[in-house]
Amino acid sequence: MLEVSDLHVRTGGREILKGLSLTVKPGEVHAIMGPNGAGKSTLAHVLAGRPGYEVTAGSATFEGADLLALEAHERAAAGLFLGFQYPVEIPGVSNLLFLRTALNAQRKLRDEPPVTSADFMKKVRVEAATLGLDLEMLKRGVNVGFSGGERKRNEAFQMGMLEPKFALLDETDSGLDIDALRIVSQGINRFRRPDRAVLLITHYQRLLDHVKPDVVHVLARGRIVRSGGPELALRLEADGYEGIAA
Amino acid sequence: MSLPGRKDEAWRWAELAHAKANMGVAAPANDLLPDTGALWLDIAGERRLFIGGQAASADGAAPAPAGFSAAFPAAFPAHALADMAAAEAATCTRIDIPSGHDGGTVQILHIGTGGAAHGVTQVTLAAGARLTVIETLADSASDHWLNLRFDATLGAGAELTRVVRIINGHGLATERAAVALADDARFTGLAIAYGEGDARTETLVRHDGERSFAQVNGVLLGDNRATLDAMTTIEHIAFGTSSGQIWRLVGAGRSRVSVAGGVKVARTGQKTDAEQSLKALVLNRTAAANLKPELEIFADDVKCAHGCTVGELEKAALFYLQSRGIALPEAEALLTHAFVADALGALGDGPLAEALDRETHGWLEARA
Repeated sequence: MLEVSDLHVRTGGREILKGLSLTVKPGEVHAIMGPNGAGKSTLAHVLAGRPGYEVTAGSATFEGADLLALEAHERAAAGLFLGFQYPVEIPGVSNLLFLRTALNAQRKLRDEPPVTSADFMKKVRVEAATLGLDLEMLKRGVNVGFSGGERKRNEAFQMGMLEPKFALLDETDSGLDIDALRIVSQGINRFRRPDRAVLLITHYQRLLDHVKPDVVHVLARGRIVRSGGPELALRLEADGYEGIAA
Repeated sequence: MSLPGRKDEAWRWAELAHAKANMGVAAPANDLLPDTGALWLDIAGERRLFIGGQAASADGAAPAPAGFSAAFPAAFPAHALADMAAAEAATCTRIDIPSGHDGGTVQILHIGTGGAAHGVTQVTLAAGARLTVIETLADSASDHWLNLRFDATLGAGAELTRVVRIINGHGLATERAAVALADDARFTGLAIAYGEGDARTETLVRHDGERSFAQVNGVLLGDNRATLDAMTTIEHIAFGTSSGQIWRLVGAGRSRVSVAGGVKVARTGQKTDAEQSLKALVLNRTAAANLKPELEIFADDVKCAHGCTVGELEKAALFYLQSRGIALPEAEALLTHAFVADALGALGDGPLAEALDRETHGWLEARA
């Protein structure tokens, strides 16, 4: 589904990713762990198409198409979803207007008819209730006045609404208390299907207690230095990155 | 009569070249009526139409009664262009609402057709009367100068809402509104200039009565080479009056958008509460924005807050929208619409607010 090969990326005058390769198949959940500055967020941003990152070598394909040739909004319409580490506030644009605009923009790019108001609101009610989000809150500006946990729940809500094929979740667990972590994890587990995949970027094992990965990778110095099963995350928790990523 | 120049501080950002070119040039006869259907807001109420400064009747608009009120109650200070409008206008719209009556909504459409056209609107609201006036300045695709004067006096507890839409694509539109408020009167003003043609919008509010309130907001959306310029003067003369100003300016292309927001508190204006927020968004580095808050305070027990910022669209917010499937031009339009929403909020909820919100959003989407 996602095939990243020998990816080299520069930003701010520095090479951050130095030959990263990764293959994620449909139905799989992969976790990427690594020390600060290893390039985890750079990987998420470059795959999602954020400006300011220069790919100097390598490739990334999504369902066989050249991902790097697509604009950010086209990647979203193709089925890629980036869950932000720090979701931004957008005053003046309500969550519901934003989501409906995004959903219909994606549908238009896929030659699908726009969603009706009734269908949209029906889905909003279901997803919001599942994640414990108040409908009144969703009428406010995007993330305006939301706590850190509410922002992450809003990311999970957007993922539920947009129904992507591939979720690229950048430190979704940061800033979450135990209850919020459980709710967001349930959102990710509900997302899991044989035709979908997840790439979780995280610092900590605790998210992986709730969302069981198929593969765990260690990212250090701009490359994947070790891959293994869920037990690798437990070893990292016990031994730290230094021992394993050295 | 002569035009003011850039050396005059009040006119330093105004572009009056089209006024100079068209001054004294008569507007052509209006025997060919332009199609005005799309220029009216879809709001119920009386309609009046002026083409090239002459009263016309089209689209169901009633012919305007001719003649001025010789004894308009408020004496407003001299103003180069407003005084020229009073001297040159062929006819005038006069609206008097008696005590306690609701005058509903009146739309007045002024279309410049070439040369110079002047217009005057005079409104008198007796105690407790209410009225909404929507004035639209447009053109029929030719160089022109359209110059309006709007005078209003509000009796005790009266409420006036005035929206001015400047949608001229060519030439220059200028307008000066002057409003005098008695005790407990309320004025809500909203100026919107969408533009490719040049525009100058100016509002003077005089708080003569105690506890009177004015909200004077504006949105200037500049594109191409338009020069859009606004000026406000809110005079707090009586005790315990309050005012708010929210101006949102957007500069695209090579446009120049400017606002000078003035608040004057007289010695008698104790317990004045005035707020002012001026913000500009520059969408292209080739556009320019000027913001000038001006506070002149002679009373010692007042609250006068003001804020002023110029910036660009936030890149992180743009990427956030793009990452959800919204293409960059639509993302810019959505964020720009959000930026101006505060100023449009002056009208609260209702069909007028919704119509203007749709219109602004449509304009931004069309240029995306």
